[in-house]
Amino acid sequence: MRAVYRVTKYALQDLGRNLGLSAMTVFILVLMLLSVNILWGVDVLTQQATSMVKEQINISLYFKAETTDENLTEIKKYLSILPEITEMFAISREEVLESFKSRHQMSTEVLSALEELEENPFGPTLVIKTREPEDYKKVLQAVDVPEYDALIETKSFEGNEEGIEKLQNITNRIERVGFGLAALFAIISFLIIFNTIRVAIYTQRIEISIKRLVGASTWFIRGPYIVEAFVFSLLSVSITFGLIYLGLKFVDPYLSIVFSNGFTLTNYYNSNIIWLVGIQFVSVLLLTFISSGLAMRKQLKV
Amino acid sequence: MIKLEGVTKIYSTESVGLRNINLHIKAGEFVSIVGQSGTGKTTLVRLLIAEEKPTKGKIVIGDWDITKIPSGEIPYLRRQIGVIFQDFKLLPKKTVYENVSFALEVAGEKNKHIAQIVPQVLDVVGLGNKMHRYPRQLSGGEQQRVAIARSLVHRPKIIIADEPTGNLDSLNTVEIIEILKKINEFGTTVLLATHNREIVNELRRRVITLRSGEIVSDEITGKYRL
Repeated sequence: MRAVYRVTKYALQDLGRNLGLSAMTVFILVLMLLSVNILWGVDVLTQQATSMVKEQINISLYFKAETTDENLTEIKKYLSILPEITEMFAISREEVLESFKSRHQMSTEVLSALEELEENPFGPTLVIKTREPEDYKKVLQAVDVPEYDALIETKSFEGNEEGIEKLQNITNRIERVGFGLAALFAIISFLIIFNTIRVAIYTQRIEISIKRLVGASTWFIRGPYIVEAFVFSLLSVSITFGLIYLGLKFVDPYLSIVFSNGFTLTNYYNSNIIWLVGIQFVSVLLLTFISSGLAMRKQLKV
Repeated sequence: MIKLEGVTKIYSTESVGLRNINLHIKAGEFVSIVGQSGTGKTTLVRLLIAEEKPTKGKIVIGDWDITKIPSGEIPYLRRQIGVIFQDFKLLPKKTVYENVSFALEVAGEKNKHIAQIVPQVLDVVGLGNKMHRYPRQLSGGEQQRVAIARSLVHRPKIIIADEPTGNLDSLNTVEIIEILKKINEFGTTVLLATHNREIVNELRRRVITLRSGEIVSDEITGKYRL
């Protein structure tokens, strides 16, 4: 216990008496963490945007007027076994008619033509949503059988096929670029932290060897650096998250315009705060531990 | 107290630090190791504090064969020996008091004991009134006295001084040697590596002369003969 107290005391003394170096180390860690968080934020926004676009895409199967409720129930039952389908709902003939009328309420010609028919010319519509845009092909293949083909008037998806494929390609590419950037940032961050800590320890190399010659054990020499790494990690993560929340105050109003579903980065950070702070704190701590351990090896050989 | 048997230290085929050194230093002796620069004085000191390992031979301090010492036990050995260096080796970011107390803190001494003993030792070396200063605020002689206080504070049985007056003027040199003599009078074995002729001749104690890594003379009451 006495040793822990002394190691902590040395660490705090070192931090205070090397204030410039300590401040510079924290500053570099904050810059690195901010860069990682910006990349992270961009990735979250990309994912959010693509999932929003994906959600808006669906297949509509427009059935012929003679399609009965039994036919519709049978098709629904048949399609429900497909695991790709996440949501499916039917719009009745009456609802389709009402929707058509309200869409064309300004066009008297269309409405009078409809009245001349004396009966509802529309069949029911089945709206289907799938997990991924490419799953629509499977659904279309599933209904592409003679007994259902005779009942289906049109499939609204067919025209959008090219657009969906393009979107899929773009999202795949964004994911790949995002992964590459994340890997690049991880390497750069490691090198920055490693060099920052190495410089900090290099300036204290003579002190380390003196401590060794006076009879300090490895733990007594390494201990203060471990405590310092903890303090650096705590300070840098706290400052970074303070700055992030400050920045989000300016960014979120713009996001609420783009994302109609009410998504904001503040909400995202709030709901993932423990995980985000935890992973970044542990990463910085581990990196500083490893860096200081590697940088100190030579000095500890005395 | 200190025994060296056939100790050889070879750095490379062209650089031999010590050759076949056989030496026995008894408890309470004041021994000067003399020789010109590069004759192996510092190598000998480094071997005694386990900063380096001999290529061949055996070194025993007390009952401790330090040639076979595991690296984890080196700090314990160093806490038994007080070492004074030519360049003082003080911690620049610690005060005089902290530099001296550090030697006790690493050994796990209680705070109360440290608070009692450190001012006493600093008084002995005449720095009781400068204990809160940093090394850069002291003269060379004062810095060396801090180093002596640090080496003394855990009451070691052996003090090894490697050219302790090398960076000091004659007045400070005399003061430092007087302190070492006083330490020796209290029963501590003192090993002084130096090439200062006046000091050695003035001391009239045992003198071991090194030349090219070998002992060329070992006199009970010797003089500087190079």
